[in-house]
Amino acid sequence: MAEEIYQLSATEISSRLAAGKLTSRAVVEALISRYHQLNKKIGAFTSLDEKDVLAQADASDARRKAGKVLSPLDGIPVAIKENIAVKGQPLTCSSKMLANLISPYDAHVVEALKSAGAIIYGRLNMDEFAMGSSTENSAIQKTFNPWDLTRIPGGSSGGSAASLASGLVPLALGSDTGGSIRQPASHCGIVGMKPTYGLVSRFGLVAFASSLDQIGPMARTVADCELLLNVLASPDARDMTCFDSTQRNQLPVASEKSLRIGVPKGVLGKGVGAEVAAATQAAIDFYKSKGATIIEVDLPSSDLAVPTYYVVATAEASSNLARYDGVRYGHRSANAKTPIEMMTNSRSEGFGPEVKRRILLGTFVLSAGYADAYYVRALRARSKIRAEHLAALEKVDMILSPTVPTPAFKVGEKVSDPLQLYLEDIFTIPANLAGLPALSVPCGKSGHLPVGFHLVGAPLSESKLFAAAQLFESAHSFANQQPTL
Amino acid sequence: MAKGLDIDHLAKLARLNLTADEKVLYSNQLTQVLTYFETLAKADLPANSDVALVVTEKALRSDEPGVSLGSDAVTKIAPASYDGQISVPRVVDDES
Amino acid sequence: MSDAWEIVIGLEVHVQLHTRAKVFASASWGFGKEPNEQVDPVVLGLPGTLPVVNREAVEKAILFGLVVDAEIPEQCAWDRKNYFYPDNPKNYQLTQKDFPVTMGGKVEIELPGAARNIMGEHKWIRIHHAHLEEDVGKLSHSGSGSLVDYNRAGVPLLEIVTEPDLRSAAEASAFLNALVVKLTQAGVADCDMEKGQLRCDANVSVRRVGDTQLGTRTETKNLNSISGVRDCIIYESKRQIAQIEAGNKITQETRGWNAEMSRGYVLRDKEDAHDYRYFPDPDIPTLKISRETVNRLKKHVPEAPFDRQRRYIEKLNLPYTAASVLIADKALADWFETAVAAHPTNAAGIANWAANDLLRELSAQSGTEVGSDETPAVKISLDSCLIKPAQLAGLVKLTDEGVISKQQAKEVFTEMFSTGKDALAIVEAKGLRQNSDTGELEKIVAEVIADPAVAKSIAEYRAGNEKAINALKGPIMKRTQGKANPVMIDQLLRKLLG
Ligand SMILES: [Mg+2]
Ligand SMILES: [Zn+2]
Repeated sequence: MAEEIYQLSATEISSRLAAGKLTSRAVVEALISRYHQLNKKIGAFTSLDEKDVLAQADASDARRKAGKVLSPLDGIPVAIKENIAVKGQPLTCSSKMLANLISPYDAHVVEALKSAGAIIYGRLNMDEFAMGSSTENSAIQKTFNPWDLTRIPGGSSGGSAASLASGLVPLALGSDTGGSIRQPASHCGIVGMKPTYGLVSRFGLVAFASSLDQIGPMARTVADCELLLNVLASPDARDMTCFDSTQRNQLPVASEKSLRIGVPKGVLGKGVGAEVAAATQAAIDFYKSKGATIIEVDLPSSDLAVPTYYVVATAEASSNLARYDGVRYGHRSANAKTPIEMMTNSRSEGFGPEVKRRILLGTFVLSAGYADAYYVRALRARSKIRAEHLAALEKVDMILSPTVPTPAFKVGEKVSDPLQLYLEDIFTIPANLAGLPALSVPCGKSGHLPVGFHLVGAPLSESKLFAAAQLFESAHSFANQQPTL
Repeated sequence: MAKGLDIDHLAKLARLNLTADEKVLYSNQLTQVLTYFETLAKADLPANSDVALVVTEKALRSDEPGVSLGSDAVTKIAPASYDGQISVPRVVDDES
Repeated sequence: MSDAWEIVIGLEVHVQLHTRAKVFASASWGFGKEPNEQVDPVVLGLPGTLPVVNREAVEKAILFGLVVDAEIPEQCAWDRKNYFYPDNPKNYQLTQKDFPVTMGGKVEIELPGAARNIMGEHKWIRIHHAHLEEDVGKLSHSGSGSLVDYNRAGVPLLEIVTEPDLRSAAEASAFLNALVVKLTQAGVADCDMEKGQLRCDANVSVRRVGDTQLGTRTETKNLNSISGVRDCIIYESKRQIAQIEAGNKITQETRGWNAEMSRGYVLRDKEDAHDYRYFPDPDIPTLKISRETVNRLKKHVPEAPFDRQRRYIEKLNLPYTAASVLIADKALADWFETAVAAHPTNAAGIANWAANDLLRELSAQSGTEVGSDETPAVKISLDSCLIKPAQLAGLVKLTDEGVISKQQAKEVFTEMFSTGKDALAIVEAKGLRQNSDTGELEKIVAEVIADPAVAKSIAEYRAGNEKAINALKGPIMKRTQGKANPVMIDQLLRKLLG
């Protein structure tokens, strides 16, 4: 087979490792050479400890030889976003604030990956503290879209999406607060899922907005994405919002013929690019052709989603990011005479503009005299949005829409217009507000740029979403699309 | 400007120094965003929110002491320390 | 308008709950550890860490609620109180603003009586609610800088908030004493003030007697002893009265207290009041409290100290003083009741030994002062006490039966305390048994009567002076080396003197 190792899916690597046709070392060596060739250009990885990943690969190969394979992921590299704690590694969140912080502990998902034998493979760039939709807000470096290096990869998990699209790694972890997995997945032509809130432990994920954040799997194929999620999703008593073992029963998968797909009224209208609309319509038509029932659903509070999200997310963020004050760890400003001055200077020097903007906004919406008008109303709007989605999902198995209204924009294009940037998340945000699982699947191109469609399901319907996505993926060649680099 | 947006007060609450230019920039941007949030003010909303998660006592931890990081690990990541403690500029009276 | 002033006080009492691990983290806590040795990633607020509520802390809080007859709501929840300070690791404190773990409740207090042996007035102080939160770290200051130790950060605190029902410094002291007794007796908290386990904020206002409107109040923060609370209330009420009498208005302000100088000072006024931006903590879901848990904990609620006091006085005929001493220490009172069960006819006699001799010896052993202001709950340990309750009962029984005299009983007690031997065994070994041999005693009594030295006393007795007979008892005791049964001596003297 002419296929290069770096092009292989995790599922394929897994079966070749099992068949003895490949070693983990060979996989890692191939990826390291790909990394040397491309990472400077793409800027996906912030760090890669070659000696360490080779040692992990050798350990995996030794386990395999001894017949002690830990799981189907044993020996397969998984790259980790900069905001997930790996013991002994930096936990920068792509911020100057945490540039020097070495995590003294592992996130739950990292522990899970380690016990599955996966190789903890390098760290991925992101928007500072996961705030952004373009990865332009990283204090470390820029990341570019492998399909067009003049464009953004999406964000905040831009490093994750770009690394997968450019064949630097077969699997990656992202985190998603308002679309941070799905939006870059769409822009880079890969698969990304945000699980049901509570399915994956947040222990070790640096909080942006705690009630919205979820870690999720990103991959080039639907099967790989599901394979990775199965390792991530396990109970963890260290996160009180994480489901216990009795709360994890997945909804049964619907058959092609009985599949009911909801399409929000007017979803392909205003603001959605023509080619994005066409690709989404083609996906709808595909499901119809397979016997699925397409049902128009009404989600009247959709207009409230973006403001609700930005009130709730920034309120929580303003408090979550208060701990970065230069006292216990992280950046400390020199030349301060009092603790208050020291904390204020450290924060002013350590945070980038978008983080400051959101902290100020979040501080405002919680402040005396304004909390009722903004924060409290946003919580009520969130209830309404969730109720509408749950009601719609009684009638349909999943709701289909574009992932992002328009394809990846040019680097620098929206830097000065935060509101325009916030509107990137219009289709992805409701799933976070309602705690629902959602994924983005590649479904075509807008010009030379990939676009994806978006599926949202009822709580714990991940298997159902994967099955529907798989149905689409098998009938199309988007999973095999590769940028020329 | 959105009613009540006092950028100096916000900056103080958030412990951020802002330059004069930043004050203008952020005031304008936040005002723009808050104007966009007007839909929220006008929306017909339920009287209460019910989004909070509820757990039973099963989710509580048992009273078993676990491992400490140890003061060496604490001071190792701290920007400045003295004799096992984290040092900061002198607190003048009560600033809290 | 009256010239007399009424002081109105509400207290916010922070007590460290008796747990092994911290309230939202598994790090251990306790006094006297090296700085930052009781810190884990959660306590330090490292990025990515999350709080998980300690079951024991919740149960201790519920138990407190049951002890003060509070309502235990079906659900409680935590909020974030946002403020920056170097001792506050996350720069927000997890606390309960809207849905505390207990609602309402009341605590019975006793005011000082006219004398130490006279019961004072009893009164009920209402509790508004109690909420479960986390303590912050400790800052210490040196010349050039300040140092932070996070060992105390995350220690479980129960904040008990009273209604403004207290009317004097003495009532506040009595309330805190009663509260400490309740908390320690139920095992909710140790309340060791020297270790900072109980800290108070005092809300004080004054008004003219008869006024129905409350005056403007001030809040003095962080009082760390009962005497500090008392002194601060006296100081602050005097200050406010003087202000008003001078025609000034009271400013609503937050104040500090300098215990060394017994003076209060302004920390910040209303204009500088914090904007804490409370909101529900998204990391800790609302917690459902099952009624099974509440019912299980109800079984651990001890008898209320003042109920016990009333029972001792009314049913067991104990003097007020002994009853009050015993109820202050649950273990001692339980010990006392076990002794009474072994010899039910003289509870007062047993109480007298337990509340005086035994308590004195035990506190001498442990080196604590009995019933001082700062240790209202007497800190003694009965674990190391060699005397078992039944043994003290045995001693009282021997005295009651006239086998030994009161004087001899003291000697037996001392021996019993240091050896743990039975009273009877000590009596036998020391040959302390009272002489009750009628024949032998009658001989001695007759000899004493015959002594001319007592003729005058005999004459007086016969002339009707009852007390004169006592002059004869001394010489008889002397001849029997104190072993004679005093009751028998008395009977024999009366018989022989006709
Ligand atoms: Mg308070
Ligand atoms: Zn408090």
